[in-house]
Amino acid sequence: MFTILKKEIRSFVKDRRAVMLGILMPIILISVFSLAFGGINSKENRKNPLLICDEDKSATSMKVITGLDSVKSLDLATTTTDSALHLIKSGKYPAALIFHKGFGDSVNQIKHLPWEMKYDASQSVQMGMMQQYLAQSLFGNVGKIMTERMVMRNAQKQFAGMDSLSMMMATIQMKKNLDASSKGMDDLQQNIMKMQSSPIEKETDNQGIVQAVAGTAVMMLMFSLTAMGGRILEEKENGTLKRLLYSPLTSTQILSGKMICAILYATVQLLIMFSFSSLVFGLVLIPKILAVLVVILSTAFACSGFGMFLAAVVKSREQLQSLSTLAILSMSVIGGSMVPSFLMPSWMQSVGHVSINYWSIQAFFDIFWRQIPITDPIYLEKVGVLLVFGAVLSTIAFRLFKKNVTSMA
Amino acid sequence: MIEVKNITKNYGKTQAVRGISFSIKDGECYGLLGPNGAGKSTTINMLSMLFPPNSGQITINGTDASNANAAVKQIMGIVPQEIALYDKFTAWENILFWGSIYGIKGKQLHDKAEELLKWVGLFDRRKEKINSYSGGMKRRINIACALLHSPKVVLLDEPTVGVDPQSRNLIFELIQQLNKEGMTIIYTTHYMEEAEKLCNRIAIMDNGQIVAQGTLDELKQQSAVTDMIVVDFTQAPDEKLLAEKLKSEISVFENSLTMLSSDSKKDLTRVVTTCTDAGFEINRIDIQKGNLESVFLKMTGKQLRD
Repeated sequence: MFTILKKEIRSFVKDRRAVMLGILMPIILISVFSLAFGGINSKENRKNPLLICDEDKSATSMKVITGLDSVKSLDLATTTTDSALHLIKSGKYPAALIFHKGFGDSVNQIKHLPWEMKYDASQSVQMGMMQQYLAQSLFGNVGKIMTERMVMRNAQKQFAGMDSLSMMMATIQMKKNLDASSKGMDDLQQNIMKMQSSPIEKETDNQGIVQAVAGTAVMMLMFSLTAMGGRILEEKENGTLKRLLYSPLTSTQILSGKMICAILYATVQLLIMFSFSSLVFGLVLIPKILAVLVVILSTAFACSGFGMFLAAVVKSREQLQSLSTLAILSMSVIGGSMVPSFLMPSWMQSVGHVSINYWSIQAFFDIFWRQIPITDPIYLEKVGVLLVFGAVLSTIAFRLFKKNVTSMA
Repeated sequence: MIEVKNITKNYGKTQAVRGISFSIKDGECYGLLGPNGAGKSTTINMLSMLFPPNSGQITINGTDASNANAAVKQIMGIVPQEIALYDKFTAWENILFWGSIYGIKGKQLHDKAEELLKWVGLFDRRKEKINSYSGGMKRRINIACALLHSPKVVLLDEPTVGVDPQSRNLIFELIQQLNKEGMTIIYTTHYMEEAEKLCNRIAIMDNGQIVAQGTLDELKQQSAVTDMIVVDFTQAPDEKLLAEKLKSEISVFENSLTMLSSDSKKDLTRVVTTCTDAGFEINRIDIQKGNLESVFLKMTGKQLRD
């Protein structure tokens, strides 16, 4: 028994890369998960980006914006309305608060306020959280100004003819009465200060389903394709790869055949997943099938390149198993497959851009949530990034294969 | 048919093949004999264009192999040392696949596959998956898969490793039949009897070099070997001590001593006396006529099984 034990330990320790991955993998995964999920609870780390469009540019609108700027959980950026809508549409910002012309005057005249919130339809969950932060500051600041104006206006009507000292005392009392009256404040908030809040595109599909389908599909696809990449190592081990290389086929032809097979497999797997989601969960697929197919093919290409790349980097199937688990789980966490990106700290969201998952999920959001047409550069950019991922990873994989695997065969 | 001039191959700092040269005539069966690590498989891999030599030149069928990779591969059939078959495929599926990568299609492929499966005696079991086959059966399919495109040259890299004697004899018959049909064969092995039985000419390889080559008779002449005295002891003898006392070329492997002799009758008495005096109890003595094993021992100073 001890002889077997010694042999097992020795053979395990001899594969240094596998040992390193075995130890490093849980450490790295714990770090990635902690950083991603830590962002949810840590208010200091997580700031909600919000675009501000001040079309009014009045003293009142500026005062309200200054008030918002002091809210720690918000990260404000000022821009024009057109630019804001573009940034939201492209998924770079979740929302914009627009102060239309006449905002200051409406506050002074206690009329319905011309302000509105535009947000990314794919981030409605985040909007719910953000509106809580906004309500406190906005209704505090704007409500205070409007209350004062309302009291002053009423006082001038009711106490006309009084001396200024008496009028001031009566006004203070009136303000106290209004502050104490929740009905008065509710009325102010629910009617006059009511903000129009709408997504920039029509919401059609449940965000949770799109997130779940796209996130899970891409992650599972990576596992499948890494296993397919592992078959090259299997072929190396059982000698069939060497036999293939003995034949008139070139190594590029052999690898291309395997790559195309991986892409086909990936395409079929993704199509089945989306069709299932359409049938069972009501994901609206048919009207968007062309756009979906384009993303599926580009995702399949990127993931196939990823699978081939991992298989080319390692020297044994044990190494592949460890490295692929580490790489796929890390990419899935930072890319938003496991937890929506917007729930992560902003720096973590930026890191997520290096993952295939992020671009694929965002492209599916473009189709199902943002309702972006197939010709829109915002959508095409994501498809392009996926294709670049596939091209770069498969090129590196091919070169490494020629260098490593074929020489070892 | 094949002309190899001074080829070398390095793996990092290790020189696996150190400037070997040989030529093989059309229809010849040429053996590369040597222990594991002698450089036989590396030589086969260079001949089969798996990788080029670091230096030197290989000419196959009048063509410089480095300039006509695909054309040369098309006339070569390689039987690798490993059983390079797809376990989950049937024998029929394997045969068809390996034939198709050489560009054979349709009826031609099916006819050839049937012919070869009958030739290796496995046509009736063609629909069974390879993983249900015995080692010997897999080896036969392994050979058949290399012959679908009717190559002019067949390279067999230790094709009998791990097979039972009956299957081995069957494989010998297949190879001899191929050779009779005019196919040029390059056969690597570390079994002396295989090389003796199958090959017209043999190159003895050791440490990446060809230490001698020729027909068996030529090799015997080159090494001036006549007989070999083999002594089995009840326990392992001291090689250094016996070498000093016998003042002859000896080799010890486990409990056995082998000594080359040009006059075995005279040397036999000396060997028995010396060993007994040295305190080693003799179990059995055998005098063997000069053969490839004695040539190998003479040429390399070691037994092939060392």
